[in-house]
Amino acid sequence: MPKLTIDGQEVEVAPGTTVLQACEEVGVEIPRFCYHERLSIAGNCRMCLVDMERSPKPIASCAMPVGEGMVIHTNTERVKKAREGVMEFLLINHPLDCPICDQGGECDLQDQAMAFGRSGNRYHENKRAVEDKYMGPLVETAMTRCIHCQRCVRFTEEVGGVEDMGALWRGEHTEITTYLDKVIESELSGNVIDLCPVGALTSKPYSFTARSWELKKTESVDVMDAVGSNIRVDARGNAVMRILPRLHEDVNEEWISDTTRFAYDGLKLRRLDTPYVKKGKSLEEAAWGDAFAAIKKKLKDVKGSEIAAVIGDLADMESMVALKDLLGGLGSKRIECRQDGTALEAGVRASYIMNTGIAGIEEADFLLLVGTNPRFEAPLVNARIRKATRKNGLKVANIGSAEDLTYKVDEFGDDATLLKKVLGGRHELSKALKAAAKPMIIVGQGALRRADGAQVLKAAHDIAEKYCVKEGWNGFNVLHTAAARVGGLDLGLTAKGGIEAIKADAEAGKLKVVFLLGADEFDTSALKDTFVVYLGTHGDEGVKNADVILPGAAYTEKSGTYVNTEGRVQRTAKAVFAPGDAREDWTILRALADVLEVKLGYNNLGELRARLVKLAPLAATLDTLVPAEWADFGAEGDVAEGGFGPAIGNFYLTNPVLRASKIMAECVEIREGNAEEATGTHG
Amino acid sequence: MANLIEKLFSSPIFTWWNSATFGTRLYTSRKGVKVGEDKEGNIYYREKDGKRRWVIYKNGPIEASRVPAEWHGWLHYTVDTPPSEQPLPTKSWEKDHVPNLTGTAGAYVPPGSQRAGGQRAASSSDYEAWKP
Repeated sequence: MPKLTIDGQEVEVAPGTTVLQACEEVGVEIPRFCYHERLSIAGNCRMCLVDMERSPKPIASCAMPVGEGMVIHTNTERVKKAREGVMEFLLINHPLDCPICDQGGECDLQDQAMAFGRSGNRYHENKRAVEDKYMGPLVETAMTRCIHCQRCVRFTEEVGGVEDMGALWRGEHTEITTYLDKVIESELSGNVIDLCPVGALTSKPYSFTARSWELKKTESVDVMDAVGSNIRVDARGNAVMRILPRLHEDVNEEWISDTTRFAYDGLKLRRLDTPYVKKGKSLEEAAWGDAFAAIKKKLKDVKGSEIAAVIGDLADMESMVALKDLLGGLGSKRIECRQDGTALEAGVRASYIMNTGIAGIEEADFLLLVGTNPRFEAPLVNARIRKATRKNGLKVANIGSAEDLTYKVDEFGDDATLLKKVLGGRHELSKALKAAAKPMIIVGQGALRRADGAQVLKAAHDIAEKYCVKEGWNGFNVLHTAAARVGGLDLGLTAKGGIEAIKADAEAGKLKVVFLLGADEFDTSALKDTFVVYLGTHGDEGVKNADVILPGAAYTEKSGTYVNTEGRVQRTAKAVFAPGDAREDWTILRALADVLEVKLGYNNLGELRARLVKLAPLAATLDTLVPAEWADFGAEGDVAEGGFGPAIGNFYLTNPVLRASKIMAECVEIREGNAEEATGTHG
Repeated sequence: MANLIEKLFSSPIFTWWNSATFGTRLYTSRKGVKVGEDKEGNIYYREKDGKRRWVIYKNGPIEASRVPAEWHGWLHYTVDTPPSEQPLPTKSWEKDHVPNLTGTAGAYVPPGSQRAGGQRAASSSDYEAWKP
């Protein structure tokens, strides 16, 4: 542990830390542009110069590892002059267009020029001008403003795992570019906007729509995938203007995927803002009372066994509880949360969560992917796997059809029977799993959606039990694609036969009424002759055969509890109000219960959450990982030959919000046009 | 009866805001010398052998903002030559004088107000509703 002195304070830090990090530990702020904790060190902006005793020149603190007995000064006249000089050099070519720049108000260069720069300008020459680059529908460029910190280049290469960005020419003529105006083909490309310390890379959909100081910031959680990325929703008036990541080391670090960041325009398109009731053949606008009356009239002579409900992918646990209690009051227990038909069962929690946790991937030394494509199903899990492969030498093997995961993968083919062979112990994979200290297996929804999903789950369980479950380490993981799924399973919302049985019963006329809680990911044509009550946010698949439509609130418009794929309970916050007559989902169900004369026993969110905790005790453990007990699950039997299908269709179109979004539609068009070779994004 | 009361109350004996009061008319007939008229028909007077200058409003309510700029100058002793004798130079871009419209149908209403028909410009809080 080297000891060093910084501004008279003695500090002991771990070997390998840089001087800049050591300064941060004692609370001395060093200005920087190119240095970023999560990226490799470049040392090219020179803003972090500090004085070191016995060194003839100031040193770049971000690139200098600490040494025993170092004496660092950060407040000498020479450091001040060095910073002023560097800032002056940076501003030689940086345009003074802050009033028309989108970064204005949240710009590192602006702030540091104020704090560390000179007050005047001594240069009268013309400034350099650089042509703007095209980087796709998400990233707007103004390359004249670029200060060549290379953070974006390092990010796309190191975290994103694509080599789409780079620098051309040298010296003053350096230009950051995507080669030949190529789109950045990464699912994390939006993060370069946050990384850019100046206004060279800004958000295209957000450009010139708002200023950072006009926005009301709400800390929330994302529901576009099952990762549960922590986000900040920036709203002005009743509109979500942008979504930014929030720091959470164990979930999303400080990145978010493009769907999370840019889906917000879908919150303003195709919205359900008033109840509808089917009259004759067409849906007509109705008042809340009329919609409830229509449901009551229908339910009058319907038995409890003829009622079912399907939970959608974006539903919060509160509305699930309200729906469960409402259906319970009507005499039905048939609620299904697995609308994609996977073979997961409620009961054993270890069977449907990521037991290792997302951060746990960094501890693992061997990873087996089974029927999953984390790059599209959960880009941040994929980024974590890539980080582990780079930093800890994690070896990744794949059974499934996933391609191009941005890191080296040993392919073993797309055949489910391989699982049995691995279990046999003679296979190459068995040996690798056995040799590993902390092996992991990630089972995707694609693997569990097969007809023999339960057998696949059992095979995965047996492999995990044989190799991956050890003292203090559970390497069995299920990667979900829907934000609501784990919450639904925690509440035990599974019905016998699953979604297929509901569809079959509806077609056979055994089901008279079906409630859809934002369920849009299955074919509702089977419910044509059934009375369908759709409670949701967007006019999507679910409304096609609906008889009564009740407009609900989207994830930015309510405080809802979600459980992510690793079993972490998190809560969204209300950033804006739901549009028009739409209401928060649980309040709709509570009002409907009154009309149907069902006693739910709660009148406010607090009471509802108390009921939620009673049904699923883990819902009280906010933002904590509770280790799940290992047990037996899955169904004995043979696994049929054949591969695993993809768990999701198009990455940009996985839920009604994304499908309504124009930005996402543009992304689909451009990615499909650009990459004709299979990327897995083909819908 | 009501009609009579209305008439009585709108007469110059009781009100001063519909037309010049009785006293003003008497004073004008005794001492006033007509100086000129503006576009709206308001008549401007000055005292026969004194300093006083005043206006009798015609064709509308007694409302100080109905005095146009050129006559306002004369009325307030900014200039001594009345604009009827020596009109002020006007530019092509000058607009006609408009009195204060507050309380009338022509009053300003902000864009998007219900009184302006409720039509407002698009805002970022707008959403597009789904229609069946």
